[in-house]
Amino acid sequence: MRINDFLLGLVMALLGAVTIWGSRNFPSMPRQDYGAGTFPSLIGAGLVLLGLLLAIRGWPQRRQWLVWQASVAMPRTLLCLVVVIVSMMAYVLLVPVLGFPMVSVVLLTLLIGWLSGGRWWLAGIVAGTATMVIWLAFAELLRVPLGLGILHGVIY
Amino acid sequence: MVALTDALMMVMSWDVLLVMLAAAVFGLFIGAIPGLTATMATALLVPVTFFMEPLPAIAAIVSATAMAIVAGDIPGALLRIPGTPASAAYTEEAYQMGRQGLIGQALGINLACSVAGGVIGVAILAFFAPLVAEFAIQFTSDEYFWLALLGLSCAVLVSGADPLKGALSMLLGLLIAMVGMDSVSGQMRFTFGIPELLSGISILPVLIGLFAIAELLRRLPEVGHAELPRPPTVTHPFRGVGKQLWRYKGDVARSGVLGTLIGALPGAGADIASWISYALSRRLSRTPEKYGKGHPEGLVAASSANNAALSGAYVPALVFGIPGDTITAIIIGVLMMKGVTPGPDVFTGDASLVNAIFLVFLLANLLLLPLGLLAVRSARHILSVPPAVLYPLILMFCMVGAFATNNAMFEIWLMLGLGLLGYFLVENDFPIGPMILAVILGPIVEANFMRSMIKYSGDLGMLFDRPIAAVLGSLALLVWACIVFAGLRGARRARVPLSS
Repeated sequence: MRINDFLLGLVMALLGAVTIWGSRNFPSMPRQDYGAGTFPSLIGAGLVLLGLLLAIRGWPQRRQWLVWQASVAMPRTLLCLVVVIVSMMAYVLLVPVLGFPMVSVVLLTLLIGWLSGGRWWLAGIVAGTATMVIWLAFAELLRVPLGLGILHGVIY
Repeated sequence: MVALTDALMMVMSWDVLLVMLAAAVFGLFIGAIPGLTATMATALLVPVTFFMEPLPAIAAIVSATAMAIVAGDIPGALLRIPGTPASAAYTEEAYQMGRQGLIGQALGINLACSVAGGVIGVAILAFFAPLVAEFAIQFTSDEYFWLALLGLSCAVLVSGADPLKGALSMLLGLLIAMVGMDSVSGQMRFTFGIPELLSGISILPVLIGLFAIAELLRRLPEVGHAELPRPPTVTHPFRGVGKQLWRYKGDVARSGVLGTLIGALPGAGADIASWISYALSRRLSRTPEKYGKGHPEGLVAASSANNAALSGAYVPALVFGIPGDTITAIIIGVLMMKGVTPGPDVFTGDASLVNAIFLVFLLANLLLLPLGLLAVRSARHILSVPPAVLYPLILMFCMVGAFATNNAMFEIWLMLGLGLLGYFLVENDFPIGPMILAVILGPIVEANFMRSMIKYSGDLGMLFDRPIAAVLGSLALLVWACIVFAGLRGARRARVPLSS
């Protein structure tokens, strides 16, 4: 998904301007011109300058805002993007409630089953094994509190 | 001598050896699968190394990356698809040898030359790093400021076809590094009232997001659309390899040294080293017309160079704390998380650790031989793992790894955001390398600049007062002039439509 350089340059320049504006109140060191705002302002100025340069460079192409160049069709790519985002959101929101093992098994089964075109048995077996390995490695060996969620009450 | 014995004792412990073996097998798997790079292997390993002592952590990353680069040669020779970008220079050569019935020999040369190049790189690293460290011990904040800035600038210049986009990517990385408490004044910056951002953005979600999630987003839509062809069977690896190596011994030595030197340059890594060595070998060859048609000479030169470059990149990383490529940037991040700040002081203060790191390098390169043979033998099985299974597992591993940083779900949000950012940037030809170097080097540049300014009461001209600082500063400014010039030239040339 190629976005016009003109547009990208403007976004970068805008980000730079916001950075400069956001660093205006950072205090300087005592008896110095420099302080916590120096570097952010310099970075902001760099973004504005180089962003505008990119925008100028992209000006001849301004009529084409977006070009799809990938070999895979746009709907498929967008669907994959949405699936990854939704998977991560589901993980973050559901693991504290349902626990890691349950969320991991369901999520992996759904993803592998969907991507493999409906090989649900394979998906289920891989999901179960992978969840067990990750649990053993991270929760048991490395002591990462992955959380059992509602399974905590069932097991203990 | 005592330091060397101590180092040997440190390396020859069960935990280090076991970690190296496991990491090498992991690197082998990731490297052999087209699309998954050595940097991605490192990024995926970091959450696990987070729980280790400094030496096993480095040992894991060194073994995994060396093995990934070697394993990347396998799909190149078998399927004409390089497993990692470092193998791209000689993929055609190895594939053509395979078509002539010499697939075993091609992979044997890859393997043997990788070990030879790697050992040359380690020897140079072990010999020169302490010498450079002795010299660097006189450096002050002025030299470190310019050196870090020079590293960043060179990374931008060699990052790709468009230095302007490289520079913008670097500035975005610096902006990420500014979030959190300023190390000099204690001022909170860009935290937006989020308590998790007070200590800054952790390096782990940045690495996993930019390298693993962004790559996953790019690869996932291809699942089911482009299946890999079935690879041919490899027979008689190593037959005739000794003869070829002896014949082209000069190429091995030259490429080993050249690869190490290129690896030591900021921004240039294993892929650039193998391209340059291949081109140089072709130019110096008595039979340049045979290149590209299955000629072992090009294979020997480029295979030696990419593994040597891996070791070379550690010279600036260990001596100055300035990473030469993305992998060493990750290593520096890991060491800093463990309270070890790479620099010349480590060489005098903790000589055992430095020697142990050199030994780990040597061992990792020697391990390539048996494990590489295993990789060649099991290539058919590795390449038959369906991406439909692999990618969801990588996604789950990324989420668990990011969470493990601070045991906080906030890190997963960060990883997602940065993954999406990385995806859009790569899709639009922005290189990611300068960004990650900037995240690591940003605080070093700023802290040393502020130290110098406090020392000189804000007199900017004093940054050029010391001779080495003046040379480094002039070089950095020259590189920036080149970047701006390349950007302006690009602006003048931009008359082509977007779709071309």
